[in-house]
Amino acid sequence: MNTPSLPRRRFLRQTAAAGAVVALARAGAPTSPPAPAPDAPPGIVDTHVTLFRWPFRRLKYDATPALVAKLRRHRITEAWAGTHEALLHKDLAGANERLAAECRAHGAGLLRPFGSVNLAWPDWEEDLRRCHEEHRMPGLRLFPGYQTFDLSHPDLGRLIQLTAERGLILQIVFQMEDPRVHHPLLSLPVIDARPLVPLLERTPAARVQLLHFAGNVAGTDLRALVDRTGAWFEFSRWEGNGRLGQLIRPGPGGARPPVPESRVLFGSHAPYFPVETGLLRLFESPLDAETLHALMHRNARRLLPA
Amino acid sequence: MDPLAFALNPADYGLPTREQLVAYRIWDTHFHGFNATTDPLGQFHANNLYVRRMGIERSITLEAGGTLRAPLQPATHDAAVRALLVKERSWLSGITPIDPGFPDESCAKMEAWIRRGPCIGIKYVGGNSRGISCSHPNNDPIIRLATELEATIYIHTWLKVGGTPRGPGRGNLPGESTPQDVVALARRFPDVRFICGHSGGDWELGVRVVRPQPNVLLEFAGSDPHSGAVDFAARELGAERLVWGGHGPSRSYATELAKVLESDLSHADRLKVFGGNFRHLAAPILRRQGIPFEL
Repeated sequence: MNTPSLPRRRFLRQTAAAGAVVALARAGAPTSPPAPAPDAPPGIVDTHVTLFRWPFRRLKYDATPALVAKLRRHRITEAWAGTHEALLHKDLAGANERLAAECRAHGAGLLRPFGSVNLAWPDWEEDLRRCHEEHRMPGLRLFPGYQTFDLSHPDLGRLIQLTAERGLILQIVFQMEDPRVHHPLLSLPVIDARPLVPLLERTPAARVQLLHFAGNVAGTDLRALVDRTGAWFEFSRWEGNGRLGQLIRPGPGGARPPVPESRVLFGSHAPYFPVETGLLRLFESPLDAETLHALMHRNARRLLPA
Repeated sequence: MDPLAFALNPADYGLPTREQLVAYRIWDTHFHGFNATTDPLGQFHANNLYVRRMGIERSITLEAGGTLRAPLQPATHDAAVRALLVKERSWLSGITPIDPGFPDESCAKMEAWIRRGPCIGIKYVGGNSRGISCSHPNNDPIIRLATELEATIYIHTWLKVGGTPRGPGRGNLPGESTPQDVVALARRFPDVRFICGHSGGDWELGVRVVRPQPNVLLEFAGSDPHSGAVDFAARELGAERLVWGGHGPSRSYATELAKVLESDLSHADRLKVFGGNFRHLAAPILRRQGIPFEL
């Protein structure tokens, strides 16, 4: 038997009423919008997507055309794409070549390839050169742990220096999946970010972005990276209700936020994560339009011009 | 700035508007409203902004009475939580954590917090001092009493990889149940329905463990959002066996909503998963407790 007294539902309905007609009408509009109008909602630059097969299961959108269509449905207009092949393959030259070709074949102006080098494998500087000079990639992506080195590797400083000299972005992925659900054969170390701090201090021109990074429990590594380096971040690992807003908005009394809004970019971690996760984070925190524009595209444009 | 207003229109980004979220009638069956060591009530009140903003219709806290770390030990904020469960009953419910290492004490707590209190169910937490999982015979009197009270039964489960040799579940804490433990318990009580929490921790394995046991439902909060996981669970179990949890504030509603919104479930099935299935499960005790609701 149902009861007629529903104050909570009535409250939700009442607070939802403003603008409901307009919003619902928009929601029912055709999914393929016409050419963008001057006042069209901003597109999003997704700085963290990865192509090809995840080694441990098929992903729903691991076929590039399907992923591109999915990203477009969510108004993502540019995506910085790494390759899952870089996790375990030894022939990264081949992996990078396939990534570049895939972005050309299916990217349709949306995908920008970020190849990889593996400091644990020989001749990585030649892989870097090919990514830059032959494939015209705007940056590189490292997968420490999977690539059997960590951030104390003696060559990391040289890699940062070389990417800075070439004007390349260096993305560093701190985690791909929750270690509690790793395949039992996989035993990866936790990647410590602290060695990055002095390296980036020595190379202020470096453009380094940390992907899927939340920092240690005490927040000391994040604080050091924010205070002492110019590192950039994406927020796919910033978990918790309102966490995005809490990290980038001033605290009580105008206290400085933990991370400057100007150094935070949108990253979905698709297709491993649903694209919707990152998008919903933008709306979960009460952020104003200016901040949303910064996170969606303006900050990314400062790091990598169109 | 209206704290409930979105500065941009979510529909422009392929997301539901707030009005559409409200229309889903979302019941958060896994709400860590008071799971904080320093200021549980402050955490609860701070989180309410996100509850309202994301259109959650009802939140069901798992920390009604004691704490998850010490379920049977009264907490200083117990009276305040109990008062809130009465005052805010139009949108807030509670289930009380128990400890199968102490079945008599657990039953006494159920009497106090369910029969003579506002709660609608029990929760098995993730581990306990005596290392007793939910499949142990200790649980039988607890389940018999829960059945008499028409209480919902939520069991935290995981399959943490670890141990030597490494394997799923060998990294669990002492007393932390696996989905296999839930199935073993559910076989002894075929007329009782159980909620296997966190999709077993590892959904690819957990879903297959519970699949043959029709009186086990699956809740999938508190783990990373894996693309395709809800589709997989719906294919193997049917949408009728899935219930949604938010796991906030330690998890983000964005994380948990995305799991369903990304799936290929029909609108009707989304309504079931977001709240309909749990309302049917809990309807008897909601009525018994005089909690206003609509199925």
